[in-house]
Amino acid sequence: MATDDVTGRGDRLGRRSGFPLWPGRRGKRLRAAVIGVVLAGYAWAAGAAAPLTTTSLVFVLIPGVVLAAIAYAWPPERIPPPDRLDMTGMFWWVIAVAALFEWEASAYKDNSLPWHPSLTDLINPMIGPHVLRSAAILLWIMVGWALVRR
Amino acid sequence: MSIMSTRVLTIAGFVVLIAAFFLLEYLARRPGSRIPTLGQWLGYLMRPRIGRVLILLGWWWLGWHYFAR
Repeated sequence: MATDDVTGRGDRLGRRSGFPLWPGRRGKRLRAAVIGVVLAGYAWAAGAAAPLTTTSLVFVLIPGVVLAAIAYAWPPERIPPPDRLDMTGMFWWVIAVAALFEWEASAYKDNSLPWHPSLTDLINPMIGPHVLRSAAILLWIMVGWALVRR
Repeated sequence: MSIMSTRVLTIAGFVVLIAAFFLLEYLARRPGSRIPTLGQWLGYLMRPRIGRVLILLGWWWLGWHYFAR
């Protein structure tokens, strides 16, 4: 075929061609370091924004828009998902997730009173300090990136 | 039952459930486990485009919920 002599990469099953995320060992380290510093700085700045302000909303919107754009326009190499799940094994996850939702919903239904706080009521004071809030934002961004790769 | 003990019970419930997530992830990573890892079943749900969009929206909502409001 005419394309037989083309050394192709990407486009294998479960992979998407896109920008090279891992250009080489040295480039990889440099790139990871730069991204890490930028993200840490961003999380630090975002952690300083007061809740319920336009600034805090913008700080949350930007990662969403950036990751959505990457996922849509420049999809990275994706980790191939399994073709099927073992339903028996999956059932344990379903129980855990359903129980968590039920526990949270019961607190929400009770209006998150002090005697039955919701998860939000418990987490918000924990991420009150600037350092912890920034760390949580950084973790949130990294989870978003992990999801884009899935 | 006093208000304080009910609060402790509620918090204990959350702790147990979140610990269950870590336990399941640990069990899933053992060789030959039938339990999928969190990444595997999320990846499976994200195979169709709608699943991908909904999961990413859920992720964004968490950020908005905890950091913007």
